[in-house]
Amino acid sequence: MEPSFDRYRERRHEEARAWKERTGGKVVGLFCCDVPEELIHAAGMLPVRLLGEHEDTSEVDIHFPVNVCPYPKACFDQALKGQYDYLDGLVVPNVCDMVRAMFGSWQINFSLPFLYFLEVPQKISSQGIDFFTVELGRFRGALEDFGGHPIADDTLRQAIRLFNADRELLRQLSALRVTAGLPASSVQDAVLSSMVLPKEQHLELMKEALAEAATAPPADGLPLFLSASMLDESDFVRLIEECGGHIVADDMPAGTRYFQADVDEDDPNQLRALARRYLEDIPCPRKMLPEAHLARLLDMLEASGARGTIIHNLRACDCHLYEYPYFKKELEARGLPVLFFRGEETATEREQQRADIEAFIEIIAG
Amino acid sequence: MAGEDVVAGIDVGSHNVSAVLLSPTGILGYAILASAEEGERAAKRALAQACARVGHASVPTVVVATGCGRGSVRFAVRESSEVVCQARGAHWLFPQARTVLNLGAESSRAVRISPDGRAAAFATNDKCAAGSGRFLELMARVLEVPLEEMGDLALAADARAEVSSRCAVFAESEVISHIHRGLPKAHILAGIHVAVVDRIVEIAGRIGVEREVVVTGGLALNRALLAELESRLGVPLLIPPEPRIVGALGAALAAMASPK
Repeated sequence: MEPSFDRYRERRHEEARAWKERTGGKVVGLFCCDVPEELIHAAGMLPVRLLGEHEDTSEVDIHFPVNVCPYPKACFDQALKGQYDYLDGLVVPNVCDMVRAMFGSWQINFSLPFLYFLEVPQKISSQGIDFFTVELGRFRGALEDFGGHPIADDTLRQAIRLFNADRELLRQLSALRVTAGLPASSVQDAVLSSMVLPKEQHLELMKEALAEAATAPPADGLPLFLSASMLDESDFVRLIEECGGHIVADDMPAGTRYFQADVDEDDPNQLRALARRYLEDIPCPRKMLPEAHLARLLDMLEASGARGTIIHNLRACDCHLYEYPYFKKELEARGLPVLFFRGEETATEREQQRADIEAFIEIIAG
Repeated sequence: MAGEDVVAGIDVGSHNVSAVLLSPTGILGYAILASAEEGERAAKRALAQACARVGHASVPTVVVATGCGRGSVRFAVRESSEVVCQARGAHWLFPQARTVLNLGAESSRAVRISPDGRAAAFATNDKCAAGSGRFLELMARVLEVPLEEMGDLALAADARAEVSSRCAVFAESEVISHIHRGLPKAHILAGIHVAVVDRIVEIAGRIGVEREVVVTGGLALNRALLAELESRLGVPLLIPPEPRIVGALGAALAAMASPK
């Protein structure tokens, strides 16, 4: 199961190009967990989460300094290298400075037929839900104009069901981390592939993966919780596993945040249901106070039986960094040790991280 | 001494490989090799040298390896991390110690020690070499001063040049500028030691310094660094008789505790 999902992340550009050739449809790229992919799917297009390659970012280094978030940088590097030449459109949500910068960067460097700046409220509130519902209506209209046909309510309903079904299977796979010792890297690979593959195809792969996961040898590492900003490859999780750790639960964008909440299929106001799911139900420090975020994190952490927490802060992700001192204090007060990294997802930092993770695990294991 | 009662710890560091022979009554002997050879071969050589020095006829079979190259020591019965071994070794030498600052060639780390000698928390330097032994080595080369004389020369200085503590490369260019301006070497050396201590204090601050404080690793041989560190932390420092073997001692203690 694991190698196949791993392959899809690596082959994401070929897969998208093949889909485009096969269907004649449009491919729309997007950043972050705040863009309702269901609307893009319902418009007959393929939504793909942009993912980078971190070992070689030679092209982007002349556009951005080193002290900015490496995730959007690595995605932009892929675009500069022509890897995203199949994109017909891009949706940039208003989430943080560096992602915002992607809008102008794409505008200046590429002539995409569709470039949409999605306004996302900066905090969770009833006014925010109202605002986001209206904004999603605007987004729907823009997609309809770009696609050249309206998005029927029934089509959107089917898209919501399809995406919910995929999330349900991801939740089942994720639960096997605790019940069957499934390595967390397998779950992350499944999430990353779901972000880039057509959902119908991913759903079928998930069914196979679940059947195979039931027979996989269980992991026997020390149970740990992982809280992270965007990790768009599974190398860091794999490193923890190599060091003798087993991530039983997580709070990260390319992890549980992607599948933990469904869109309410019964809400007659579909846009409002989407607004609720994407704004209210996905924890993220950019839109919630640390106390509220910690409460959600603790629910997951305590249910998982993790004996320690690793926090990975992608360098320059200030949103996540601001809440770290509070998280550390609160977790340690509950007797849960914390190991903190600020990283860039490159191999150059792996050995230092390995030494610290091994020490952390040895200390907890006693 | 029955041969089977003697165990060994080996610390394969980035600069030195050290071996400690431990019996139930204490440290029998040790050896330190400055070695760039393959980890396992260097470990065997250090162990053989430690045995030869004290006339111990047979090489111990219960060996625990630590250090960044510990994975290469295939004859070790198990591995243990540097953090855990530093805490264990420092506690054995100084049971009252609650903090160990391990200042090695490439890594600087601070470890908080629990009253029973376990590592309770730790912090390590990140990617930059500023604050490590390698940085001092580089500066010694730039200033054309023998590494082992740097500390004493710095102690004799009556003024300090400003040297950046953020980045080893920037610090090097600052030092070169100071040389070009004709500043005395002693002033530059004093500034370099302050810069290294800045980084160490920052790392120590991440876990909080609790008395008593032990300093281990090759940098604990540098008197100027210790004087500056003591003044900045405001606590007296405990220095082991041989600060470079504390990791290997911690590994040997783990070997002693291993089921035979």
